[in-house]
Amino acid sequence: MADLRCSRLAKSYGDRAVLTDIELDVPEGTLTAILGASGSGKTTLLRLVIGFIAPDAGVISVGGTVVADAGRVHVPPDKRSVGYVAQEGALFPHLTVAGNIAFGLPRNERRSAGRVFEMLDLVGLPHDYAPRRPNQLSGGEQRRVALGRALAPRPRLVLLDEPFSGLDAALRGETREAVVNALAGEGTTAVLVTHDQSEALSMGREVAVLRDGLLVQTAAPTVLYRSPVDLDVAHFVGDAVVLAGTLRSGAVETALGTLRTRNATADGEVRVMIRPEQFRLSPGADAEVLGQSYRGPETILYLALRGDDRTPIELRTFEQEVPARGELVGLSVDGQVTVYPV
Amino acid sequence: MTAHRLARPFAIHPPLPRRRADGASRPLLVVCGVVALLVLLPVVVTIIQASQGGFSAAGDALRASSTLGLVKNTFLVAAISVPVCAVFGVAGAWFVERTQLPARRVWGVLLVAPLTVPPFVTSYAWANLGNPFQGLYGAAGIIGFTYFPIVFLLVAVALRGLDPALEETAQSLGLGTARIFFRVILPQLRPAILGGLLLVTLDALVEFDAFVALKFKTFSSDIYAQYQLGFSASGAAALSFISIAFCVVLLFGEAWLRGNRNYTRVSQGARRATIRYPLGRATLPVLAGVGAVVAIGVGIPVVTLIKWVVTASSAGLTSASNNLHYLLPASVTSIELGVGAALLALLFAVPVAVLAVRFRGPEVTALERSVYLAFALPDLVGGVALAYFASHWVSFLYGGFFLLVFAEAILFLPFAVVALRATFGQIEPSLEESARSLGAGPVAALWRVTAPLARPGFLAAAVLVFAFTLGDLSTAQVLLPLNDYTLGTEFQANSASVAFAAASPFAGVLIVLAMVAAYILMSRFGEVRALSED
Repeated sequence: MADLRCSRLAKSYGDRAVLTDIELDVPEGTLTAILGASGSGKTTLLRLVIGFIAPDAGVISVGGTVVADAGRVHVPPDKRSVGYVAQEGALFPHLTVAGNIAFGLPRNERRSAGRVFEMLDLVGLPHDYAPRRPNQLSGGEQRRVALGRALAPRPRLVLLDEPFSGLDAALRGETREAVVNALAGEGTTAVLVTHDQSEALSMGREVAVLRDGLLVQTAAPTVLYRSPVDLDVAHFVGDAVVLAGTLRSGAVETALGTLRTRNATADGEVRVMIRPEQFRLSPGADAEVLGQSYRGPETILYLALRGDDRTPIELRTFEQEVPARGELVGLSVDGQVTVYPV
Repeated sequence: MTAHRLARPFAIHPPLPRRRADGASRPLLVVCGVVALLVLLPVVVTIIQASQGGFSAAGDALRASSTLGLVKNTFLVAAISVPVCAVFGVAGAWFVERTQLPARRVWGVLLVAPLTVPPFVTSYAWANLGNPFQGLYGAAGIIGFTYFPIVFLLVAVALRGLDPALEETAQSLGLGTARIFFRVILPQLRPAILGGLLLVTLDALVEFDAFVALKFKTFSSDIYAQYQLGFSASGAAALSFISIAFCVVLLFGEAWLRGNRNYTRVSQGARRATIRYPLGRATLPVLAGVGAVVAIGVGIPVVTLIKWVVTASSAGLTSASNNLHYLLPASVTSIELGVGAALLALLFAVPVAVLAVRFRGPEVTALERSVYLAFALPDLVGGVALAYFASHWVSFLYGGFFLLVFAEAILFLPFAVVALRATFGQIEPSLEESARSLGAGPVAALWRVTAPLARPGFLAAAVLVFAFTLGDLSTAQVLLPLNDYTLGTEFQANSASVAFAAASPFAGVLIVLAMVAAYILMSRFGEVRALSED
């Protein structure tokens, strides 16, 4: 296994800059999730690292060896030892599961079943899957075999392109767990590309947010979620309520009272970002109940703050008795909030 | 072990020299460039030949009063036959692939068969029908009925590849079958139709074998006459300038019409079964129409052949039975020639097809297009050019069998490329990319992933070249080694004697081979290997 370093990476197609000045370090043995909306350039970044395309500028190195240096070095994909799990798996339809997994092994190892069974164990599939054909597998099983195939030759790094897309919710969770376990089992350095926030936050040791070809923030999931670099990122990685406030010596005054801040900025008018789960119902008359949606264990209350903005808030409550539509409720904020200059 | 494996790739490859990864790799471009040069070889030699005769001689040939009329005739043939090919090809493919036409597989094979029946056999059969079939309409009819299966095959592949969800959506929006065809299906078939018609048009402009038995004179038959009458090779070569010019204009025109359409299937995941529309009360008329096309395309040559044997005089029958003696050697030579040309054409076609399917860019377009310059010369001129080239520069090839194999491979290379593209286009690029990421180089990825999946396409491409080689007369007449004979040359030699009956054994074998070829083409053209296989 090895670490991945990308520095000052840039790529454009014609006049359109797809990636600009990308700096990304993935430490050995960890998983970094690249989170971006469609069209943000995440697949391009992945293809640069594998070597299907070459950067216009910048350097990519794997385990300290330069594999791409714009205009100077381009190691072809087959010489990079970078594993790749394509969207939908891309299993070779003419080969069995065993044939697929053994594809990247040296010729003399392809015949022996040892590594194939090891990989099946790793991705949580029974050994009797070995002689099956890809078209006899479910979507989730195909992704697992694709991961086993990528890991079998012991690559220095594995890249996963939206590995769970097109799977239904239950299968998604199960497959995700199998993938995390397999990657941990091999101690693999991995990069996962996704547009799914919860996938990125739950799987990545670090999450890198890609927006319009720029890596706007790379941080641990908790840091990213609680202290997003700007309000766009805040909205992108989760639901966020933004209030107006006035910052004064480390505390911010808002319509909901004085709140503790996590970060600092110049005193004065600020925007205050609060995650919906920080809100608690309390006595008072801060917001009006617009409606509710019963979800079994919890109920979602649709609230509007009183005042000129009537800021909407979706509040999740596990109380049995919830206030009815039109009632006024009080709100308090649990924990710290993040402030941004106006 | 692990450490060794990790160290391996980079130990051998210290920082590599500058390489472009986005476009096609340089080795691929170089290989395709070599193929393009081989295709261009006869064209270049022809230009040299023409210049040797002096440009005044070339000018005389071009100014000859008959030339304009011949050009007009040639264009008329193309103008009539191309729409015929478009209509029969598209309609045939639609009925076979997308309707509940009874016995549709059988009709499919019979609709492909006219392509594999040698054009000179068709030509004699039509000429035999009488005078009205010996003029413009006969010529255009033969081209139309011989070459519409090209359009048929390409459109059939495109129809199989369409996402049924589009039609289902159109149905749900209240469109009937006919309106779905014209508003949803036909626009998506545009690249396939244009690609097929390009081949037909180019072929029509330089076709000679199909007119061999007609009184109708085209451009290439005049060139043929120039050689036959021993006028001057340079005069004929000069006339070829016109066909070269047409070819280049058409190639650019089609590229422009096609635009930036992508042939590769965009959608992913399993392909669902396509919709087959019931024909209902239209069943009988459609059967009658398809039957009529088959009757003209295949029926005329086959029935004529039978008639030749049945109505033959005893002298004719005697010479026919005498000829049986030559049947086996002629068949062996023809098959050797066909197999050799098919394999060589595949070798040349694979890099070009990979380039055309997987990469975009001006150099890709230029290389892919240059392969079609095989159509720039009438077969005979190309053959003469290669003979001239061999006699002057590579004398060990001159008069040898390989030169003919090479000529046929070059001549029919565009068909092999088209057939391979149709199959390669069905294979997701992500499969090759996965292979690359697993350590397979570009050649290994082709060999271990693309080739096994594309097996039916390889077979179809080979069979197409094989069938065309069997059906070629002009090139064989120029380049066949002395004392060798093929089914085609024997047919031709005997067609002039006592009665056609003497030629019938050769035509019979050619037609049987044609039917086998048609069957393989119908089942394999543009297909990817079925997953349930072995």
